[in-house]
Amino acid sequence: MAVTRNDDQDEHIEQLWYMKEEGKSSLEFMKKAMKRAFDPKVVDELAQRGLVERGGEPVTIRLTVQGEARARQLIRAHRLAERLIADVLGGGDLEQIACEFEHTVSLELVNGICTLLGHPKECPHGMPIPEGDCCRLAKKSEFSFIIPLGDLKLGESARIAYINCKSDQQIHKLEGLCIRPGVVIKLHQTYPTHVIECEGASIALDKGVVANISVWKNQPGVDEVALSQVTDKKEPASTGNKFVDFLFRKVL
Amino acid sequence: MAISPAESQQSRVPEAHGSTGVPHGARVRKVAIVGLPNTGKTQIFNNLTGEYSIVANYPGTTIEMRRSVVMIKDQRYEVIDTPGLHCLYIHSEEEVAVRDMILAEAPDVIVQCLDASQYKQSLLLTAELLELETPMVLVLNAMDEVGRKGLWVDSTQLEKLLGIPVVESVALRGLGKEELKAAIAAARKSSLNVAYGFRIESLILELTSALPFSLEFKHKIATLLLQNDPFLEKYLEKRVDAQALTQLRSTLANIRGQGKGNIAQAINDKRNRWIDTVAASAVRKQKISYQGLSHYVTQASRQPLFGIPIFLFLMAVVYLSVVYVSGALDKLINFVAVAPVTALITSLSLPVFWNDLLIGNHGILTLGLFNAICTVLPILSVFFFIFGCFEDSGYITNFTVLTKTIFEKIGIPGNAITSLVLGFGCKTMATLSTRGLTVRKEKFIAVFLIAFAIPCSAQLGISMAILARVGLSAFLTVFVVLILCEVGAGLLLNTILKGRDASWFIQVIPPLRFPSMRAVCRKTYHRIVDFLKEALPIFIFSAVGLFIFDKTGLLGLTKQAMTPMIVNWMGLPKDIIDVFLLALARREAAAGLILKMVDAGSLNYIQSILAVIVTTISFPCVANVIAIGREMGWKTALLMTTLIFVSSFILVGALRWVLVLVCH
Repeated sequence: MAVTRNDDQDEHIEQLWYMKEEGKSSLEFMKKAMKRAFDPKVVDELAQRGLVERGGEPVTIRLTVQGEARARQLIRAHRLAERLIADVLGGGDLEQIACEFEHTVSLELVNGICTLLGHPKECPHGMPIPEGDCCRLAKKSEFSFIIPLGDLKLGESARIAYINCKSDQQIHKLEGLCIRPGVVIKLHQTYPTHVIECEGASIALDKGVVANISVWKNQPGVDEVALSQVTDKKEPASTGNKFVDFLFRKVL
Repeated sequence: MAISPAESQQSRVPEAHGSTGVPHGARVRKVAIVGLPNTGKTQIFNNLTGEYSIVANYPGTTIEMRRSVVMIKDQRYEVIDTPGLHCLYIHSEEEVAVRDMILAEAPDVIVQCLDASQYKQSLLLTAELLELETPMVLVLNAMDEVGRKGLWVDSTQLEKLLGIPVVESVALRGLGKEELKAAIAAARKSSLNVAYGFRIESLILELTSALPFSLEFKHKIATLLLQNDPFLEKYLEKRVDAQALTQLRSTLANIRGQGKGNIAQAINDKRNRWIDTVAASAVRKQKISYQGLSHYVTQASRQPLFGIPIFLFLMAVVYLSVVYVSGALDKLINFVAVAPVTALITSLSLPVFWNDLLIGNHGILTLGLFNAICTVLPILSVFFFIFGCFEDSGYITNFTVLTKTIFEKIGIPGNAITSLVLGFGCKTMATLSTRGLTVRKEKFIAVFLIAFAIPCSAQLGISMAILARVGLSAFLTVFVVLILCEVGAGLLLNTILKGRDASWFIQVIPPLRFPSMRAVCRKTYHRIVDFLKEALPIFIFSAVGLFIFDKTGLLGLTKQAMTPMIVNWMGLPKDIIDVFLLALARREAAAGLILKMVDAGSLNYIQSILAVIVTTISFPCVANVIAIGREMGWKTALLMTTLIFVSSFILVGALRWVLVLVCH
């Protein structure tokens, strides 16, 4: 299902989604937030297409069910793209690439990326990624290269792909202990508490923290003896390359 | 040794941290020892100063800062030992004090202590400390563990990369002490640190110019502001005037407004990359390393299948050694000192008053000196020794992992378990160690449970001795009752108290190691000396107090007034009032007296059990109440003490009826 491209309309729809997240619905607010990008003509077009509805005094504006579906796709693509760039392709100008990306990808590709990334819940900025069909149908697909740390087998080593976490303090604490993307950890124990080994230290984590950590599954070159010798900068990039290869062979 | 205010004032002037090692007459230079938790800072402090602070193998042993002045190469240094610090970006209250000390006092030399086998976790702090541009020394501690983990740390290379002296050390055995002293004397600023790149540096510069000129460490403070440090505002409020603060806030808001990217994340990324580079070129790792028996024992102690038998075995060892070893010591001291002295005084046939004052029921010797030295001391020595072994072996943290799920089911959060276990050593220290808990509900439950039914080392040892004389079944009964009390209180508080639920649990676990007997003996010796210094006078004074109370007839009146409560409700003999009065002063003194009463046959089976339980639960010692007040506020302290006091009497009375029913 290819999506017809209309960037101006998409920008307006996205703004309305952000406003919904913040619980805002006034047209005045929308004008202020979008500044010069705001175009009353586009709003009329959207209303004609049945994507937005206006009403009340002062004027309110909100997405219709149809509009919301479209916005969900866009936001999902945008935030998943950010995740992909930040975690897999080794960073870069998140915003610009993600903006370009969201208008051009197909729904299937978005679902493919989502599955490969292990259905992440948040973008790198901590905003929620809307759930897609793929997340609802199969929480864990065979395709996924990235799995939750909790799914790792006892005694296995894996490289951390990303950490999904709302609390700044928790992220900081984990980073202070060298638990961060790119680092190889080994799972020592799962009951009564998870214990991992990371850079020479044994660290106990509770279930909540474990659920926030996602790792690369079966990554070649990672075995238990090569634990801390993975600081080579090329590694994350090569991970990314493998991923892109995979992406092109299987999904596209 | 104390330093005069004038001297400490002098060392606070900004020029104080010049990089030259030239002594300035009598000026005292400050050396701050900082580092991650459980990296051996206190041991280094002890080695440098020749003083003794308690050291142990679990994170958070040191709670308060400690200072001491020493001579190093003809220069006086004030050495400061600090609690653990992960990085200068603060995530908990307990770390704020350390950072504020560094920022406010601007030490002349910073000694960073790091566990060489877990070097990478410490490098984040190193990166941040380098940014302070203060002369610095890095101590690679626990070098003996490094080889065992198959690592090789190149300290010379590290010295080159960081631009500061790096000293290898095994602090526990005193290795590397002289090298450290030399390095402190020659410490210099490093010109190397993390390069953040033009974009971030220009933001830092912008913020720096908004900070007042006189403020120390402007560059670092600006960096922390960019990282949104939640505790920094408080620090600045005290030092920056309101107008400048407003301007600073607007500059900061402006910066955050323009940059779309996450600045804090970018700073972290740069640092992480720096850490990776440093680690990659200074450390090598073997492909295979055999970690030995301790590794497997450590793992086993955390798994229920082996961990529970290991725990029970250790408890049995504690019980048997407290009962038999201290019993033997008790007999020995009695034979050598107490019996001859008593015989001597009796043979003198002094007037009744003097005889009673010395060796009567409430005599200075009987209840004071002999009680302390003959009854309490042997038990305490044995218990301190064993507890010291536990602390140094690293078992306590591993035990936390083993029991976390069970504790959480009954409402005790994982983060609080270490504090609870420490309560078996000293309740006051355990209460202070709850400072690391960030959620108030969690902290309240932990502090309450520590004060409630956990016997501290002194009491636990003596209680074991008492119950061993009555029978193993009595010991088990008390054990079960106290556990039920804790569980009940935990469950109840967890249901009643409102508030955010338990926070997350992330805990570094030290590997088990065989405790160094020298270190444990030293620790036991210091604890015994502390006990004698602190408690002996109280033992004697309270004996005198009780003696006066008795002779003036007040004691008789009190006993009469308390009869309905004590005799009718709790079923204890009237004389137990002596115990209660002593317990107000010192719990061990009271427990010692119970032991005597059991020996004299004045307490039966049920009464012994009740007496032990009531003294364990009802009287939090004064130091503990003060600690609660400091951690939770005085209102809460008063509330907790009252709650504990009242509930103990109700519980013990109820228990009496249950025991009577069961036993008949």
